[in-house]
Amino acid sequence: MAGNNKVHPVQFASLFKPAYVVCHTQKTDRDSVLRELLTQLAYQAGIGNVDEAFKEVQHRENEIPTIVGPGIAMPHARLDSIDKIIVGVATVKDGFVYAPERSNNTVKLIILTLAPKIAPGLYLQAISSVAKICQAPATADTVAKLDTPEKIWSFFQTNGATLPEFLRACDIMEPVTVKLQEHDTMERAIDLFIRHLVSEVPVIDKDGELIGVVSTHELLRVCLPDYVLWMDDLTPIINFEPFAQILRKESQTWLAEIMTSDYATVDENAPAVQVAKEISRQQTDIAYVMRGKKLIGIVSLATFLSKVLRE
Amino acid sequence: MTEQEIKKQKIKNTLYLCIMLAVSGAVGLLAHSLDFNRQQAMSCSIFIMIIMATLLFWQFRLAIAFVGIGVLMGTNVLTLPTFIRECKIDVILFLVGMMVTVGVLKELGLFTWIIQSVITIPHITGKTFVIIIAVLGAFMACAVDEVTSIVFIATLIFQVCDTLKIKPTPFVIIGVLATNIGSTGTMLGNPVGILIGQKANPPLSFVDFITWSFPIMLVTLTVSIILLMMIYRKDIKLMTERLNDRRQLGLGLGPLVKVPYKSGLAVLVGMITFIALHHHIEIKLGLAPNTVLIVAPLVIAGLLMLWRHERARHYIEADVEWWTLLFFMMLFAVAGTLEETHVSSKIAGYFQQAFGDKPALLTPVIIGVAAIGSAFVDNIVFVAAFMPIVNDLGHTPLLWALLQGACLGGNITMIGSTANIVALGMLEKRYKAHIYFFEWLKVGAVIGITSCIIAWGGIALLSPYMPTKQQREEMRQTLEKKTLELHPSLIGDSNN
Repeated sequence: MAGNNKVHPVQFASLFKPAYVVCHTQKTDRDSVLRELLTQLAYQAGIGNVDEAFKEVQHRENEIPTIVGPGIAMPHARLDSIDKIIVGVATVKDGFVYAPERSNNTVKLIILTLAPKIAPGLYLQAISSVAKICQAPATADTVAKLDTPEKIWSFFQTNGATLPEFLRACDIMEPVTVKLQEHDTMERAIDLFIRHLVSEVPVIDKDGELIGVVSTHELLRVCLPDYVLWMDDLTPIINFEPFAQILRKESQTWLAEIMTSDYATVDENAPAVQVAKEISRQQTDIAYVMRGKKLIGIVSLATFLSKVLRE
Repeated sequence: MTEQEIKKQKIKNTLYLCIMLAVSGAVGLLAHSLDFNRQQAMSCSIFIMIIMATLLFWQFRLAIAFVGIGVLMGTNVLTLPTFIRECKIDVILFLVGMMVTVGVLKELGLFTWIIQSVITIPHITGKTFVIIIAVLGAFMACAVDEVTSIVFIATLIFQVCDTLKIKPTPFVIIGVLATNIGSTGTMLGNPVGILIGQKANPPLSFVDFITWSFPIMLVTLTVSIILLMMIYRKDIKLMTERLNDRRQLGLGLGPLVKVPYKSGLAVLVGMITFIALHHHIEIKLGLAPNTVLIVAPLVIAGLLMLWRHERARHYIEADVEWWTLLFFMMLFAVAGTLEETHVSSKIAGYFQQAFGDKPALLTPVIIGVAAIGSAFVDNIVFVAAFMPIVNDLGHTPLLWALLQGACLGGNITMIGSTANIVALGMLEKRYKAHIYFFEWLKVGAVIGITSCIIAWGGIALLSPYMPTKQQREEMRQTLEKKTLELHPSLIGDSNN
């Protein structure tokens, strides 16, 4: 019966038609381009009220402009009025400044994704499917030069982008920006906790393999172990004595003191929902995305919820 | 749980249920064939059913015990007055008092101070650490009880092993085995001790335990430590190496805080002194045997609750193990039916027929039977069932044989004693580490069998000096007479 469950790959090009493409628009500001594109989609794909859809898209773009590659923006919104994913494409021949508050963001290609409100993750799947095309530096220029909607639609069809069967952990992960090396000391870990306001930091060995995690909770447990917590009244400890002892030795103490091997990991190809399971099971806030033993990214609980429930 | 796992669980439960009913039915039939009357056969059968149920459905033991009481009452094997009498409310109240006091001692910082005192010992090595956890575990079991003791010893082990990044399992096993051995040392070590002391006819005192059981415990503990150090020599060597490395860096084994331990220590010393002197105080005050023993922890708990009145409710609700205590009550009552229906005296008769009336032969038999039984069934269950038989046999050494066998037998398997289960639970919770049945058995059997042999030797050596049941009875009567002389006002009460 396994064959019945097989999902056939969905072509990215099947999410739109040449009629959903606005080729070489004359508009030169973000909101006008978006409104033009939405109006086109309202006529051609029946997305409902254009004003409401525009407000949704505008609201999200004002929060974080979705520039996903050189010259490419991929705005999106989730609407009650549609029951399947709809993509609209607009090109601006000479490009325009997409987000004036940010530098270096001339956009020539806009791929607008509208997803049903009750389908979390569809937008992420769409992004994931065109990610490879978008990463090529010439994509925006190439598409912006095409002079008919049909040619633009064929570009995406020819390049063969397909929607992944499911969203994988690596599709929602973020790069590791804060990390420790195995030879670092507790002093450096404490510095990172304070400087980056993070609750845990991965520890990597010389081969890039994840060997442990240092966390503020472990640090707290080292300072206040079980036998201290048994006491009802801690008023005799008036000067943070257990913390003072850590401070006294922090530059000589290796990370081993506060490193734990109890953390959530998930393979890069595992379904993204597995991230939630591992985070829940380990009662933590972060899952580490692994390629074999190598750490390739992290997914925090906040990011996971934001991507699944809001993006 | 997947569908397949649920199905497997259902099959397992059905199988267990069939085993339980088959064994209890077989016991009933066996009893009937041995000329037991209907009530006796029924009480044997239901008693075994409850034992089997606690063995096979451990999580539901209290529920099963409640239902079992209902069945016994419904079949008229157990009457309401017998139930109330056999619940051993005195033992339960003693345990409540002890649990509250231990809860207060924990919050007062006494146990924190003990752990800190260990982790600051200079030049500590793996061997010293093993000796310390074994001796401390044993002596704390003597002073409070084995479960409290193992909680603190396991925490100490976790602290040291976490800091040194070494596997805690060998040290947890050492701690548990030593704690179980230590629990034979005094009346407070194990609920079994209180039950034997209270149910013995005439009752035993704290001083009796110190005189006859404590020395045996010391020998058993010493030999066991030597054996354990040989078995776990590699782990101990690794600990010594890690300790040396750490010492060279000038690092300690954990943070230290100032602990106001003195009030906690005073409470503990005061309580043990009261309990140790209970026999003399009872004579002075003209009280029934063991009255002070039972009441002292309650009174101390009461005073502590008055002192720390804002936490009083917490001590009663959180520190008292009501689940366990209620199970004990039901179990004592169920075991009481064996006495009430004269099953125990009949079994005692069979024992005498099989092994004669000589304590020299009965002692190893009782130790062996109690040890094997306690290895697989909770030792309090076993003692509750066996106590009336030992009383009927009427030899003092057999009381000590039962105590030693029941406590030391708990070391043989990982399910043999409450301390084992508590320690394994802590290990699993903290490290998600499991100890396998045979991993424990190969160490537990060596220590369990060796310590039982030592206990047998010790009892054999001391038994010529032990008072006989008759002498104990005479001593009791003499004391009663002395008490009446000291308190003539009690004569009327005594006559009544």
